Amino acid sequence: MERKREVMVGFVVVLGLAVAVVGSMWLRDGFNRGQTRLQTAATSVGALVPGALVKFRGVTVGRVESIAVLPSGEAVMVDMRIRPELVIPANAGVLLAPESMFGEWQAEILDRTEFGLPPFLDYPQEGVLPGAALPDFSRLTATFDQIARNLTTISDRVEVAFTEETALNLKGVIDNMSVVSDLLSEIIEQQSQRFETLADGVDESAQELGDAARAARLSFERFDSLLTGAGVEQMFADAGESLSNLRNITGDVGSTMTDLREAAQRVDATFERMETVLTALEDPEGSLGRLLGDPAFAEGALGALNEFRGLLADIQRNPGRYLRFSVFE
Amino acid sequence: MFELLLRPFAAVGNLTLAGLGTMGRAWTLFSGAAASVRNTDIWTPHLVPQMARIGVASVPIALFIATFTGIVMSLQASYTLTGAIPLYFVGTLVGKTMILELGPVLTGLILAGRVGANISAELGTMRVTEQVDALETLAYDPLAYLVVPRVLAGVLMFPIVVLLAISIGILAGWFTALQLLEMSSSEFVKGLRLYFAPWDVWFAAIKSVSFGAVVTGSGCFYGLHTEGGAEGVGASTTRAVVVACMIIVCLDAFWAAVLL
Amino acid sequence: MIRLVDVHKAFGAKQVLRGFSLDVRDGETSAIVGPSGVGKSVLLKHVAGLLRPDSGSVFVDSQSVPDLDIGELNRLRRRVGYVFQFAALFDSMTVARNVGMGLRRIPGWDGKRIAGRVEECLALVDLEGMGARYPSQLSGGQRKRAGLARAIAPSPKFLLYDEPTTGLDPVTTAVIDRLILRMSDELGVTALVVTHDMTSAYRVADRITLLHDGRARFTGTPSEIRAAGDRVLRGFVEGDPDLFFASGSDDEMTHEGGGYQNGA
Ligand SMILES: Nc1ncnc2c1ncn2[C@@H]1O[C@H](COP(=O)(O)OP(=O)(O)OP(=O)(O)O)[C@@H](O)[C@H]1O
Ligand SMILES: [Mg+2]
Repeated sequence: MERKREVMVGFVVVLGLAVAVVGSMWLRDGFNRGQTRLQTAATSVGALVPGALVKFRGVTVGRVESIAVLPSGEAVMVDMRIRPELVIPANAGVLLAPESMFGEWQAEILDRTEFGLPPFLDYPQEGVLPGAALPDFSRLTATFDQIARNLTTISDRVEVAFTEETALNLKGVIDNMSVVSDLLSEIIEQQSQRFETLADGVDESAQELGDAARAARLSFERFDSLLTGAGVEQMFADAGESLSNLRNITGDVGSTMTDLREAAQRVDATFERMETVLTALEDPEGSLGRLLGDPAFAEGALGALNEFRGLLADIQRNPGRYLRFSVFE
Repeated sequence: MFELLLRPFAAVGNLTLAGLGTMGRAWTLFSGAAASVRNTDIWTPHLVPQMARIGVASVPIALFIATFTGIVMSLQASYTLTGAIPLYFVGTLVGKTMILELGPVLTGLILAGRVGANISAELGTMRVTEQVDALETLAYDPLAYLVVPRVLAGVLMFPIVVLLAISIGILAGWFTALQLLEMSSSEFVKGLRLYFAPWDVWFAAIKSVSFGAVVTGSGCFYGLHTEGGAEGVGASTTRAVVVACMIIVCLDAFWAAVLL
Repeated sequence: MIRLVDVHKAFGAKQVLRGFSLDVRDGETSAIVGPSGVGKSVLLKHVAGLLRPDSGSVFVDSQSVPDLDIGELNRLRRRVGYVFQFAALFDSMTVARNVGMGLRRIPGWDGKRIAGRVEECLALVDLEGMGARYPSQLSGGQRKRAGLARAIAPSPKFLLYDEPTTGLDPVTTAVIDRLILRMSDELGVTALVVTHDMTSAYRVADRITLLHDGRARFTGTPSEIRAAGDRVLRGFVEGDPDLFFASGSDDEMTHEGGGYQNGA
């Protein structure tokens, strides 16, 4: 009786401690507690925090231990602990980049010969790997947010009347769109360097998506000038072209990765609607004044805007479906 | 008229004096108990039985509560995390809240009911039936005999029970995520690991040690200060549980402010 | 020797003892009688060091009980047995363990020796073979006897009985009384017996004290008690409430009438 009770207590105590110790170790780094210390220096670390994963060829090999700005202020020193058996390639660099669109960053050890951009910081100290940080993707999502909000305002307005204020809102959307396409093209440019080892199709699509984004931006700028009163014909031709271009590309992307087809179709449909609106605008008799008075147009614009808004919302909800495939994986 | 004006002050004064009196008695009891720890020959034989009673016997109820907490956390997290936030944050939320807050505090509150009431009723009955006096006349220091093994058992076993509860809660949340939320194991684990820091586990352990001391201490204090028969036992049991719960909640805030 | 000098004790506003004095010489058995609620148990607890007097002194074996530190008090308590009014058996333990509790505190006693002594004591109170039972499985009288066995097990020099025979049948009462006498005759125990059973008091006590109004109202040998004319004492002994409760200012008179106060 006494003996049995002692055994029970001992069992529960040992079990509790074991669960705590083993669980903590497992949660911390899946039993691959890094041993070797590795350092890298970069001009900035983006949103990297201590505890972030260190990856090598896509495999988690350790964790970021600490991050500190050098006393001179010229660089940030990142301390990492990685598996001892890992052989670091000769020309290694460390790329600090978002692991996904939602904040968590990672440090990736890679071969710099396979990855030119962005500029790595060569810190003059033995054993410190050159490092570089990608632009922060969260800025992009924040801008998406802003666009979606403007679009909501616009479509609400259009239902009532297409007024000057509506036009200003629309302009806001377009401004933001250009910020997005800027960021997008910047990121795509940098990222596209990383994917030479991936399928050619994806790589190409990423390139083209970047081009398309730039083209789209161009047409948005024209659209912008339309609203501020400048001339028209050529602009619409450009816009139509760039949009159909964009549509083609999204179609391509869709065919390279089957699971993305649905998403691509969605993009496709959106731009089709957009194009309808632009076609209406191309009408010889079309002018801003006429346009504002035309209920059919307003309706078309509203539909397109709604759809666009839906798309943006969907991008935010499932960013991976639209962006991650091409940009980060 | 004047008397009427003075009445509120008298009430406040009474309350203050009563509060100070309770604190003084608590101080006497626990400093006495601390001094009694050296009477090891009296309390050591009772430590393991108390650990079994306070700790091992509390495991089922703690795990039961933790299981459902894990399930609910998982479901509610997925309900809350819509829109821009990816689903794997369910893992983060379940893990963090179970370890930092719900594991220790819910277990603490449940055990305040189970263990605190049990101790208080037991010692209260012993007090009113003069068994405590009997212990004294037989040259047993009641603090060493009754209080020390119970408080020590609470301090030692609460963290164990809480750590088990946390593990089960997380496992239940995980299982729910797999079965009801169509998340994958790797997604959940990714979220779980995202902001995990080993310090969290220490934090939970420190908290539960203090909760163990509070629950058993409150049970002993109100038990030994029971007056009047069965009714007195009931009253002191209620008080032991209520006070333990209140102190747990305050301590919870205190630790969060001091340790995080 | 047990000596109480001018002991005062109040619980809040309630004055229970107001200048109680008593002397029990070594080897003597002294009975305290008095109606319910007068403070007999409170008095006994002062002797055992369970309560501290508000003022006055309590001596046991020449040691001032309220002034002892916990270590000294525990050493003294090993020489003092206390029979509780309601037995106060530990209900989480068997009767045998209860009886052995005091023995386990004596250095050098092993399990076998304790078990032997426990059986011996249970036999003394007619509870042979009941050792394995739990207190809840005993009758009130059996519980009382088990409490008695627990108190006498360590062979104390002093024994404090709080109503050892209340609620027992006449035969068992006689058995317990015989036991009390045996303790003092054979072992030289100094005993203080609280009771309201006058038959029992006459039987066991060398001297009897009536506790009334927080003081020792009357002290005397059984024959002095029988002869005394004190109104309150007569009221108590004869069970006459009219006499006992009659309000009178004859308190002073009684000091001269018959017996003597506080030993001689
Ligand atoms: N711990 C206590 N707190 C407050 N009052 C108490 C306490 N102990 C005893 N009293 C009060 O002191 C008085 C004397 O109690 P005590 O138990 O000594 O009576 P008693 O003479 O033993 O009576 P009985 O013959 O019924 O056992 C009672 O009025 C009781 O209410
Ligand atoms: Mg009594």
